[in-house]
Amino acid sequence: MDQLLQHLVNGLVLGGTYALLGIGLTLIFGLMNVVNFAHGEFYTLGAYATFAGLTLADVNFFAALSLAIVCGIVFGALTEVVLVRPLRGESIDTVMLVMIGVWIAMQNGELLLWGGVAKSIPHPFSTAPLTLGGISLAPLRLFVLVAALGLIGGAHLLIHRTRLGRAMRATFQDAETAALMGVRVRRIYTATFALGSGLAAAAGALLGPIFIAYPSMGDLASLKAFCVVILGGLGNIAGATIGGLVLGVAEELGAGYVSSGYRDAVGFVIIIAVLVLRPSGLFARAERIG
Amino acid sequence: MLKRWLVMTFVVGVVAASVGSLVFGLDVARAQAPVRIGVIEPLSGPVAASGNYIRMGAEIARDWLNAKGGVLGRKIELVIEDNKSDPKEAASAAEKLIVRDKVPAIMGAWGSSMTLAAMPKLEEYGVPMVVETSSAASITKRGNPWIFRISPPSEMEAVGLEPYVDKLAIKKADFLAVNTDWGRGSIQAFGDLLKKKGLPVGAAEFMEQSATDMNAQITKIKTTGGDTLFLTTAVEQITLVLKQAQEQRLSRKIITTGGSSSPTQLVKQAGTAAEGTYHIVFFMPWFPESMPDGKLARAFVDEWSKRGHPFEGLTEGFRGHDGILTIAEAVKIASNDDPKAVRDALWRVNITGVNGPIHFEKDGPAGKESGQSKPSIFIVQIRDGKVALPEFARK
Amino acid sequence: MKRGAAILLAVAALTLPFWITNAYFLHVVIMAGVFGVLALSLNLLLGYTGQLSLGHAAFFGIGAYTSALLTLRSEWSFWLALPAAVLAAGMAGWAIGRLALKLRGAYFVLVTISFAGVIALVSINWMDLTNGPLGLPGVPAPELGPWSLRTKSAYYYLVLAAVALAYEVCRRLIHSRIGRAFVALRENEALAESVGVDGTRYLVLAAVVSAGMAGLAGSLYAHYTRFVSPEVFLFTYTVTMVIMVVAGGKGTLAGPLVGAVLFTILPEALRAATSWQWQMLAYGVILVVLVFFLPRGIVPTFFR
Repeated sequence: MDQLLQHLVNGLVLGGTYALLGIGLTLIFGLMNVVNFAHGEFYTLGAYATFAGLTLADVNFFAALSLAIVCGIVFGALTEVVLVRPLRGESIDTVMLVMIGVWIAMQNGELLLWGGVAKSIPHPFSTAPLTLGGISLAPLRLFVLVAALGLIGGAHLLIHRTRLGRAMRATFQDAETAALMGVRVRRIYTATFALGSGLAAAAGALLGPIFIAYPSMGDLASLKAFCVVILGGLGNIAGATIGGLVLGVAEELGAGYVSSGYRDAVGFVIIIAVLVLRPSGLFARAERIG
Repeated sequence: MLKRWLVMTFVVGVVAASVGSLVFGLDVARAQAPVRIGVIEPLSGPVAASGNYIRMGAEIARDWLNAKGGVLGRKIELVIEDNKSDPKEAASAAEKLIVRDKVPAIMGAWGSSMTLAAMPKLEEYGVPMVVETSSAASITKRGNPWIFRISPPSEMEAVGLEPYVDKLAIKKADFLAVNTDWGRGSIQAFGDLLKKKGLPVGAAEFMEQSATDMNAQITKIKTTGGDTLFLTTAVEQITLVLKQAQEQRLSRKIITTGGSSSPTQLVKQAGTAAEGTYHIVFFMPWFPESMPDGKLARAFVDEWSKRGHPFEGLTEGFRGHDGILTIAEAVKIASNDDPKAVRDALWRVNITGVNGPIHFEKDGPAGKESGQSKPSIFIVQIRDGKVALPEFARK
Repeated sequence: MKRGAAILLAVAALTLPFWITNAYFLHVVIMAGVFGVLALSLNLLLGYTGQLSLGHAAFFGIGAYTSALLTLRSEWSFWLALPAAVLAAGMAGWAIGRLALKLRGAYFVLVTISFAGVIALVSINWMDLTNGPLGLPGVPAPELGPWSLRTKSAYYYLVLAAVALAYEVCRRLIHSRIGRAFVALRENEALAESVGVDGTRYLVLAAVVSAGMAGLAGSLYAHYTRFVSPEVFLFTYTVTMVIMVVAGGKGTLAGPLVGAVLFTILPEALRAATSWQWQMLAYGVILVVLVFFLPRGIVPTFFR
C-alpha cells in the first residue's frame, strides 16, 4: 500500500509539471494552430535562465524563478513577432518547419553557450525529505507542486477573468468578428504565444533544480507536452491540467508495476486507447490540419 | 519574386560553397603534409559533454606530441567529426574521414552502437580504429581485424571488481542501468560475477537514456531486501538517481560502473546524496601519482586545468589522450602513414598512457582477431564530500 | 523543354557512377536516394491526403528490422526479404489507418507519434527478437546470382531502381481516380464525403502504400549500412523526412526528391565547410531562412 501511495505522490508531482507544459502548448497549438516543436526549448530556456540568474547575477532563488518566466515571455513574444506573424496564412506545416528550425537553432545555441556539461541549479530548500507514513517527499518537490498549481490557477484566472483573457477567447472563437469589435488581434496572438512560452519556461525553471539543466532536456518535454495537449483537448486548459496529472500518474504506476523499460510506452498506449475508444477526443471535437 | 530569387541564390550559394569545399579540399604535398588522425565523437546531443571531454584529451595529446616534433617529423592534425549520437552519422563520418581526408587511423566512436555502425566502413576501406570508450563485448568479438580497443568491456570491469567483492560485504545486489547496450552489458557482466560468487541478485531495473525521474524504479528496488545497488549510466542520470534515492531514503551501498561517473561532478551536484558511494573508474585524477605512470598522469591533470577545462571531465578526457598516443606510436613504429602499415604496427604498440600500459592482445575469432588492451581498473569512494580510496583498497 | 530536361536527367542518373567516382560522394548520393523514397512515401500522406504522420520513422524501422532479421536469422535471400519488409511495414500502416479510423488532423498526428513511440520501445526492450540496444550488426549485402551487390556502384543502381519505382507508383496513384479522391479529401472532407468518397477507406489505402514504401526504404538502408539498431526510430529521422517533404514542396511529385537531395547533401556539406561546433546551428538557421522565404517549398515556388 505504501508503495502505491509513493507512486501516486511521485506521479502527481511529475504530473503537475506536465500540466504546466501542456497548458502552455495547448494555448499555442490549440488556439493558434502552431505545431510548436520549439516548446521544449522554452522549457530549457527557463532552466538555464534560472541558472544564469543564480550564478551570474547572484539574485535569490525566487527572483531567479521569476526572471526565468519573464525571459520565456519576452523570448516567446519575440519569436512570434519575428517568425510566426509574417507566416500567418501559410499552411500549418510551413510554420511547423520554422519551429523545427528554431528548435535546432536554440538547442545548439545553448550547447555552444553553456557547453554540454549539465548544470546543477542550487536551491534554498533542505534536502531532507518530509515523511508522512511510508511516503517521502522532498521539500523542493512540494514547493514545485504548489507553485505549479498556483501558476495553473493563475493562467486559468487570466483566461477567464480578465479583459485580456476575454479578448483571447474572442479572437480564437472568431478572429474577424473580434477585430470588428475592436480587439487588437495581432497583439492577442503575440500575447498568447508569449504566455504559452512563459508557462513552459516556468516548468523548466521549477524542474531545473529538481533535475539538472542540459541542452537536450527539452526534447522529451516537447513530446510529453503534445501528448497532454491532445489528451486534454486542443485549447482546453482544464483538460490539459487533468491530462498532465493523468499522464504523470499513469507513467509512475506503469513503471512501478508493469515494467520500467516500457515506462514511456504506458503514456503512449493510454493515448492510443483513449483516442480509439473515444475517437472524438476527450473533450473537444476532431480537428483538421492543413 | 525578386526576394524569392535572392533567397534561393543565397541557399544555393551556401550549398555550392559547402559542396565546393567538399570537392576541392586543399591537397598539400604529401611529404610535409601533417599526419591526420580522425576523431569521431558525440559532440552534440545528450552526451555532448562526454564527447567533448574526449576531444579535449585528444587535443592535449596532439599538442604534446607536436611540441616534441610530431611523428615522423610531421605535425599531427586531428580531424574531428561529430557523430550526433546517431549510428548513421558515425558511419558517414567514418566514410568522409577515410575517403576525403585520407586518415591512416581513426579514434572513436564513444557509444557502442556508433562504433558498431562504423565498423563495416573500416573493413571496406582497410583503415584501423582505436576504440576509446565503447564497452560492448561484441565489438572485439565480431572478427573485425581493424579494431583495437583500449577501454575495458564490461566483462573486464567485472573481473577488476572481483577482488573487492568480499571486502565490500555484498550479500544481495540490485541493478539499475540505462537501457542501452552499455547498461545491459554491464548488468550481464556483473550479474555473472555475482553468480560466480554465489550471491543472489534482486531486481534489474532500467531507465531510458533521457529519463529524469527514476522514482518508480527506486521504489521497486526498496522492496527487494538487497544491500547493494549497481548503477550504470552517465553522470547526469547518476546525479538524479542519487538525489532521488536520498529523497526516498534508500539506504544501501551504491556502486557505479562504467567509468563515466565523474565522482567530482557527483559531489558538486548531488551533494550529501553522493556520500559513501563507490565508483569504478579508470583514472584517478585526485591522486594521479597512484597511477601506473604517476608523472604522466600528474602532468595531464595539470595541463587540463591549465586549459581551464572542468576537473570533472578528467575521468573521461584521459581516454582521448591515450587513444591519440596509441595511434601516434603505431605510426612511428610503422615509419609511414599507410593505414594497413599502421594497423600492423598497432599490434606492436607497447607504451604507458595515462590509464596505464597499452598493449593489444588477440580477441575474437581466429584469423580475424581484433585487438584488446587490458586497462587498469580502480575503485574509489566519496567520503566527507571528497574522493578517496576505500579502506580496503589502500596499499 | 520539359521532355528534354527529363531525358537529360535520366541519362545523368543512369551514368552517375561513371562521373562521380569518389566513394564518399557515392555514399551521399545513395543516402539521398534512400531518403528520397522515404520522402516520397511521406508525401503521399502529407502532401496528398493532407494528413501529417509524425511516426513515419516507425515504418522505416519496421522495414529495416524485418529485412535484417530475415536475412540474418532465417537466412532468406535479400530479394525475398525486401518484399517481406514492404509487406510488414504496409501491415503496420494498415493498423494505423484502421486505428485512426475517425481521427483527423491533430489526433491522427498524435496516434502516429504514439505508435512510433511504442514500436521504438519494443525494439529496445524485446531483446530476444531485436537484440535490443546492441543492434543487429553484420546484415548481409544483397546478392544477384554470383555477384554481390556490395560495391557502391552496384548499390547505387539498386537504390536508383527503387526511387524510380516509388516515383512511378506515386505518379500513377496521383493521376488516377484514387489520387483525385485523395486531393478531394484534403481540400474539403465533408464535401468529398457528400459525393460518395469514403474518407476512411482512402486514408487507409494511403497509409498502407505510404508505409510500405517507407518499409522499402528501410530495407535498402539496412542492407547498405549493414547495421540496424533502435536509433532508426529516432524522432530526428521523422523530422528530417518532414523537412524534406515540406521544404521541397509537398503535394508535388518532384518536391520530395528535391528536398531529399538538398537535405542529405546539406549536413554533409556543412560537415566539410564548418567545424563541428557550428554545424547544427547553421543547419537550423538555414532551415528557418529557407522556409521563411519559400513557405510553399522549392518546387512549387519555382516551377508552378
